[in-house]
Amino acid sequence: MANFFPRWTNFLPIKVVICGGFVAAAIVAGITYYFTPEFTKVGYEPTQPVPFSHEIHVTQLGMDCRYCHTQVEVSNHSNVPVTQTCMSCHTQVQANSPKLQPVRDSWESGLPVKWVRVHKAPDYVYFNHAIHVNRGVSCVECHGQVNDMPVVYHAESQSMAWCLQCHRNPEESLRPLDEVYNLNWKPADGLKQASLGEELKEEWHVNPPVTCAGCHR
Amino acid sequence: MKRVFEHPTPKEDAPNAHRQYWRSVGELEDTPEFREWLHKEFPAGAAEIEADGVSRRNFLQLMGASLALAGFGVAGCRRPEAYIVPYTKGVEWVIPGKALLYATSMPRRFGGMPLVVTTFEGRPTKIEGNPLHPASNGGTDLFAQASILELYDPDRSKQFFENQKPASKEGFIEYLTKVRADLKANNKRLAILTDPDQSPTRQRLREELEKTFPDLLFVTNDPLQAPDYSATIGKLFGADKKPHYRLDRAERVLAIDSDFLSGEELGMEAPQGFSNGRRLKTANDPMNRLYVVENKFSVTGGLADHRLRCQSGKLGAFTAQLAVEVAKQTGDSDLQAAADAMPESWKKVEFDPEWIQVCVKDLVESGNQSLVITSAHQSAPMQALVFAINKAIGGLGNTIELLPAVEKNADTLEDLVQAMEAEEVGAVMMIGGNPMYASADRKKFAAALAKVPEVVRLGLYFDESSMVAKWQVPAAHYLESWSDVVATDGTYGVVQPMILPLYGGLSEFDLYQLLLGQELEEAPTVIQDTFRKRSNPSDFAMGWNALLRDGFVPDSAPEAAVISLDTGAVTELVGNAKPIVEGMELVLVGDASVGDGRYANISWLQEMPDPITKQTWGNSALMSLHTASTLGVEKDGQLVMIQKGDETIALPAFRSPGHADDSVTVALGYGRQVIGRIGKGHGVDAYDLLTLDDNFVVPDVQVTATPGFDQIAQTQEHQSMEGRALVREAPIDYYKNHQGVNHLGKGFAALMWIDSHVPPNIDIYQGPPLDAPHQWGMSIDLTTCTGCNACVIACQAENNIPVVGKEQVIKGREMHWIRNDRYFSTVEEQHDDPEMLIMPMLCQQCENAPCETVCPVNATVHNEEGLNVMAYNRCIGTRYCANNCPYKVRRFNFFDYNKRDVFDEVKIGPVETNNLYLGPLGKKQEVETIEMQRNPNVTVRMRGVIEKCTFCVQRLETAKINRKVEVMHPGPVDPAELLVPPGGVKTACQQVCPTQSINFGNIADPRWEVSELINLDRGYKSLDYLNTRPRITYLAKIRNPNPHMPGADHVGMSSLGQKH
Repeated sequence: MANFFPRWTNFLPIKVVICGGFVAAAIVAGITYYFTPEFTKVGYEPTQPVPFSHEIHVTQLGMDCRYCHTQVEVSNHSNVPVTQTCMSCHTQVQANSPKLQPVRDSWESGLPVKWVRVHKAPDYVYFNHAIHVNRGVSCVECHGQVNDMPVVYHAESQSMAWCLQCHRNPEESLRPLDEVYNLNWKPADGLKQASLGEELKEEWHVNPPVTCAGCHR
Repeated sequence: MKRVFEHPTPKEDAPNAHRQYWRSVGELEDTPEFREWLHKEFPAGAAEIEADGVSRRNFLQLMGASLALAGFGVAGCRRPEAYIVPYTKGVEWVIPGKALLYATSMPRRFGGMPLVVTTFEGRPTKIEGNPLHPASNGGTDLFAQASILELYDPDRSKQFFENQKPASKEGFIEYLTKVRADLKANNKRLAILTDPDQSPTRQRLREELEKTFPDLLFVTNDPLQAPDYSATIGKLFGADKKPHYRLDRAERVLAIDSDFLSGEELGMEAPQGFSNGRRLKTANDPMNRLYVVENKFSVTGGLADHRLRCQSGKLGAFTAQLAVEVAKQTGDSDLQAAADAMPESWKKVEFDPEWIQVCVKDLVESGNQSLVITSAHQSAPMQALVFAINKAIGGLGNTIELLPAVEKNADTLEDLVQAMEAEEVGAVMMIGGNPMYASADRKKFAAALAKVPEVVRLGLYFDESSMVAKWQVPAAHYLESWSDVVATDGTYGVVQPMILPLYGGLSEFDLYQLLLGQELEEAPTVIQDTFRKRSNPSDFAMGWNALLRDGFVPDSAPEAAVISLDTGAVTELVGNAKPIVEGMELVLVGDASVGDGRYANISWLQEMPDPITKQTWGNSALMSLHTASTLGVEKDGQLVMIQKGDETIALPAFRSPGHADDSVTVALGYGRQVIGRIGKGHGVDAYDLLTLDDNFVVPDVQVTATPGFDQIAQTQEHQSMEGRALVREAPIDYYKNHQGVNHLGKGFAALMWIDSHVPPNIDIYQGPPLDAPHQWGMSIDLTTCTGCNACVIACQAENNIPVVGKEQVIKGREMHWIRNDRYFSTVEEQHDDPEMLIMPMLCQQCENAPCETVCPVNATVHNEEGLNVMAYNRCIGTRYCANNCPYKVRRFNFFDYNKRDVFDEVKIGPVETNNLYLGPLGKKQEVETIEMQRNPNVTVRMRGVIEKCTFCVQRLETAKINRKVEVMHPGPVDPAELLVPPGGVKTACQQVCPTQSINFGNIADPRWEVSELINLDRGYKSLDYLNTRPRITYLAKIRNPNPHMPGADHVGMSSLGQKH
């Protein structure tokens, strides 16, 4: 019974360990890449029941965000417009367009339009819109260039790490209060976002919560 | 493979152009319905179903289509589809996500309790008091808190029933028309049997009904009030008057069987007024004094400075002997005459003469600032004597006022029973209450009611009274109906609905309108008519809007009437008093959780521990330790049988320190059989022992101990502090002699027990940075805390705290985030006559928290504002934090109490177990209406996570956000502007407390009252020597003993008699 195990089995354990290490690393990398919001959420572009185009309404027509998203300055929830808001123009404009049929149907029947939700935080997260827009954080920071989107897609990952990145460095995202709804705003020539943001942060004493209770209740 | 969902129409000259491909008959016919279906179901396009069989391609397309149907959509493989659905037309005032507050009142027996209700998107979620109302300090009692769950109770009556078969509202209206005609034709009387309600509109409609039905019997029956109470008040003071107690003016109070601090007796005014007289900032502040005489502990007895145990049957004798002493000391001859009229047996009862003498001297010395008070369930001779005593001492007119009664003399239940027995009554409308379950002489009532041909029940539940009624009509809850009320101080207030009746119910006034032959309206014209007549504002619309906005009409309280007490009537009533019957007495009382039984189906209330016994989910026979040993009761839960005449009940015994000897107390309101699944079967029904004659005290009962046993579900089994000074108290003289703080900021209370000689705490661990502008802290004043448990229910309502059921409570798994620990303290081993001490215990938000350091996943951390925050999604359920907490305030969700059915029992083979133990395989209880009550700003926790008090962090964040949103402007902002202003946020427990014992706020900001309170010299921190550095400061309980009273040197000495 001298050589029960063939010689090549001497190196088997180390080979298993190294191989296993590579496999584990691959799994971790795979999960980090494919199963985090940066991949799963970014780019999500569902088809809506009504082909509403922000580009047309905001860029071409020049409507302010708050014409439709009326409660964003006071509520935690930024509402999508009620059918009445749509009909306030669309009884006259494009009054017979087939694309707007669901809206007209909703207005007639009283049943609301079932928009597909693009941005959704998990239900243990309590996000508040009012505090952000009133403290100099623009829509574009979190939702991307919505004014250029013909169909709304999920532009930022909106993961907790992404939120904390701004909460820890708010100066990267602050802008003057009257430019919050101007999604094309860039700091004036010669000024950098970081320095302007730093100034605003000091002026307004911006100190976003980085501990759990800020968002998790 | 590229999927094409909508094949283009084939060109005319294509080879298969003439072959018709159709997907369904609908398409073949090309009906509009088909078009609609197509576009609705598959917004991204439509799947094809080939007419000639399903190929692989079609199959996959079909699968894609069904995924779309299941909500996955074209992009659905990546994320489940969620929807965001707005209104079609905006609803006035509603901002999704923001709370909308409406003022209303809760109609109660003593008047309206002023409320402000929080609603989210049209559904009410939380009830608070109305701080603007003069008879409220913004607090409510626990029944008002729990009434929100009553609104959403899935076991509520949802359906009209005729002869127990489903029927309709139209059918009911037709039926009433027939009843009206029949009554006229047969010349029979109409009887309305309802709850007491101080509603001017009800009186107005009653008058109108009396015109239409001349022989109307309008009976208000409160099963917990003495049946002759209104008549007695009428004899003593003249018709249509109601006493109004001014506890705010009383320096010395003697409460004889009056639980005025509970909120159920006299509303919020009494606890508010009384506690204001005890709010000490320094030792030299004036402090009122409370003497209590009762047979069992009540929350009022717990706060007493001097307490005397006395059998309920002998309280009359006590009061009469007290009257003799008062007459002697004041020289009031009328009172002397009245007291002399007492029955002989009363004269023979022995009480400590020194107790009576010194107490009376104290009362007489305070003159018109004294108050002797008894409860509305006491007998007529008691009432008479008590008012006569008050007159002699001088309080009548100052501490007792008379207001005009809203309810003019109603008929009594006895009148109704007589009329029914004589077959005079053609129809009975039972509105509210539950006379077939909750009334005295129940069997007699049932027999008489059987003689009435038409019986209608308007009730919230299908209950015992519905079983005998021809028509069961679902009632609209007060949160769903229009009404008006008068508060305890006489202020006129409105009851406005928060939501349309969930189940299409009718309100009381709807029924009256139908009886009058009027049409039902949704608009509150009935109330508006009353308002117009009563207030007659010059601009009606403005006046009405102001009423709706404030909930009441300011300065509408009437002037107090001139009081003249009919002393002849007093003497007469005392002379007719019943003699004393020796032997064991049975005292029947309303329950602190379920009232007279009407709240039996509200799970929060069933699970709420009784303030004294800490029992949940049932009642028991309370008796003193001495009586228990005489009867042979060895442990709590041992079954005893109580028998009187033909009636017997068996229930577990409970040895209650502080209970009078030879007296057994049983709470009414339990043992209900015809009620929803939550209330059914818990406890024992004692109403069969309640007779009109006995007036809640059944004399000479047989009580026998049996070998049986029934586990009592108590949340707190031990009653002693085991030698630790957890609740610290002192008599006021001690406080006066030990004022101020030492160099470490500690006063006498912080230096009791081990804290007096333990070396100062040294930190080797650097705590988390506490640098935020808001630093939250709380002070709890033990001098004014009554232990009423309103905070417990308020917290449960605010924070979506689940109910766990009786079995789990026995295992100690109740989920309340705040609890009231109740201790008894005796010096010299008088176990039967202790003092009661209450300590609210909630998460202390320790700066140096033992729970934070042991969490393996860092789910609980300290934030910059001083809060110990809990991230539920990170918790893995190790329970190390709960183990390490010295205060034991962390609650663990052992099961998914929110989602799974807590009350269901399942049988698997031979084993019967609760549904919870089946875990994910168990039955769900996702009841939509209960979900409507939940606070949307607080997570609903699942199985396996720890939860605890968060200082209502959702309210704090909302307050901070609202403040910043309000003040933000371009340019430099003053940081002081961004602070939440004083009083800008209140925790749920603080807001509801009837005595304002809990104070909370930003301790870094001296403008807040709490900043002053936490630095008072009678403050201390719980378990301070552990160096947890809690953010809650308790203010030591101060008692105000009368130094001349017997036993005075033992009052308030529990902490000072402690030996380490």
